Amino acid sequence: MARYVSYSPGKAFIVDKLKDLLKAAPSRRTFLAGVGAAGASAVVVGCGSNSTTTPVTTAAPATTSTSTATDNDILNFALNLEYLEAEFYLRAATGSGIPSSYTGSNPGAVTGGTQVSFAGQTVLQEYANEIAQEELNHVIFLRAAITSNGGTPVDRPAIDFTDAFNAVAQAANLGQTFNPFADPMSFLVGAFAFEDVGVTAYHGAATLLTSKTILAAAVLIHAVEAYHAGEVRSLIAAMAAMPGASQTYLNAANAISGVRASLGGGMETTLSTSSIVAADPTNSIGYSRTYSEVLNIVYATPGVGVASGGFFPKGMNGALTTTVAASA
Amino acid sequence: METLETNVSLSETQRLDNIITSSRRKMMTIAGSAIAGLVLSKFATPAEAQTVTDADILNFALNLEYLEAQYYTLATSGTTIDKYSTPVSITGGGGTAGTVTTKPGGPAACLVPWGTYTTIQAYAMETAREERNHVNFISTALGPNAVAMPNIDLYNSFNGLAVAAGLGVSTFDPFANPIYFLLGAFIFEDVGVTAYSGAAPLIAKAAYLDAAAGIQAVEAYHAGLVRTTLFGLDAANPTLGINALASKIAAARAKLDGTGADDVGLGVVTTTVGPSSTIVDCDQNSLVYSRTTSQVLSIVYAGGAAGTGGGFFPNALNGTIK
Repeated sequence: MARYVSYSPGKAFIVDKLKDLLKAAPSRRTFLAGVGAAGASAVVVGCGSNSTTTPVTTAAPATTSTSTATDNDILNFALNLEYLEAEFYLRAATGSGIPSSYTGSNPGAVTGGTQVSFAGQTVLQEYANEIAQEELNHVIFLRAAITSNGGTPVDRPAIDFTDAFNAVAQAANLGQTFNPFADPMSFLVGAFAFEDVGVTAYHGAATLLTSKTILAAAVLIHAVEAYHAGEVRSLIAAMAAMPGASQTYLNAANAISGVRASLGGGMETTLSTSSIVAADPTNSIGYSRTYSEVLNIVYATPGVGVASGGFFPKGMNGALTTTVAASA
Repeated sequence: METLETNVSLSETQRLDNIITSSRRKMMTIAGSAIAGLVLSKFATPAEAQTVTDADILNFALNLEYLEAQYYTLATSGTTIDKYSTPVSITGGGGTAGTVTTKPGGPAACLVPWGTYTTIQAYAMETAREERNHVNFISTALGPNAVAMPNIDLYNSFNGLAVAAGLGVSTFDPFANPIYFLLGAFIFEDVGVTAYSGAAPLIAKAAYLDAAAGIQAVEAYHAGLVRTTLFGLDAANPTLGINALASKIAAARAKLDGTGADDVGLGVVTTTVGPSSTIVDCDQNSLVYSRTTSQVLSIVYAGGAAGTGGGFFPNALNGTIK
């Protein structure tokens, strides 16, 4: 239980953590040698696919952009997602977002996100507090990890909760508006919208990382997102399974799952007490998404060449910010 | 400490109380000092990392999946996986399978009396299905190189761990009732996560890494499910001491793997945000813990020596990593 007693997310500690991981997978030198030139080409390829009027040979650019993304590009992609999650949970739990010391020198604005009233719901407040702390820690960890690997962590991009959740609600046929900060159950549905996506994003990133050291760290965050997803999914399912309970929130979660499936290449499992885990039904292996599929979801917009929308009204920051055609 | 044997007066927990009372064992609260008695001198460090192949790692994982699949299938169906209605092979690539040691009464006696705990039963059935799928998937991926199931002990192992963890009991039957079942599941799932976390970076072939990451996520979903359910039950029935028992198990795991510090139980801690649950088993960077194969072996062997085994694998794992 000493996890937070001496909580001090110092950079030194994080560097030590990376050194520990390094011992298990000594390939950092190779990784460092590869950093630099590749980043620029990834940006060029990403921009090259933004024309929808001229047919393009989509397969080749997609493959190229995947293979030239550097580890720091991928970590920065993940950092954008962690900014989103941390802002969501921190605002829900406390009413305040990420401390300015962790958002970069020129952070984007955050629209929406107010403290949820957890009155009489102590346990749900404890869950929200825990996840908020963990997502904030991921922001801090990734920023330090990118820096220590010779990169520059991106600033927090502009984030929107108000219009984005309304758009999700409309796409899911849940009505014109949805405010996940309205009450604890709505909050859980909002959390549901993010967690499974985070799992698939880290899974997709895992096989692209060239550094075994970075990979070793990424899979640890991947698992935390899956703990969160398992937690949120079991809470929503369990509450709906209680005698006489409303099915409203379970149905809302599954409607959102349907939207994610249509935007993000399938990769969804309908939630029930008999299907808590989101995994392929044959082999029970967790789903994986490409960064482009993840972008389609968080931008709440289908198609190729999408560079902003939904939760990121001005787009993500970094090199992996525009959707591309599937490589296969 | 409060234990599961404590009489509860809350009317909503009366059913639970009845279940627990009916499975009552002689119980002595032994002051939690038993952990110190574990034989850590046998903690071993066999060859690791640089010399193992992908097949070695996948076979290591397959052994753990055999264990989990047997536990959940016995609890939900009263049969071993090879006798399940859609049987799962336990011979791997054609070897001789070991046996499963169960409580007196055999596999049928392991069917948990779920009663009205239909939600937990549904969770258990889902998990059983998923762990069986993992056995099939890994065994198929390895083909002729897949190891057969080793001898597995789901009886003496739990009794030994209960004493070692200082649960205040001399015997622990995870098949006795739904709450005990969840505590038994708690023993496995976080360990599975740490095992895949440690193994994934060692895997050379991208397709295997992809699969391992996917299975790691499923184990973490399971762990999140089990921990959330236990935490919720504790909150609703505070006199049962469920979180305290889970925390003793977590402490025992950390002790067994030689670190004494890489596991988090269930409870409420103060973070910079405020009073927080500890659903996720992770460190102060909020990264899950990672264990070497040797550390995992030490836990599932309950401190038994590498290559010799003990605990859940009385004759060690099958394969190179053992």
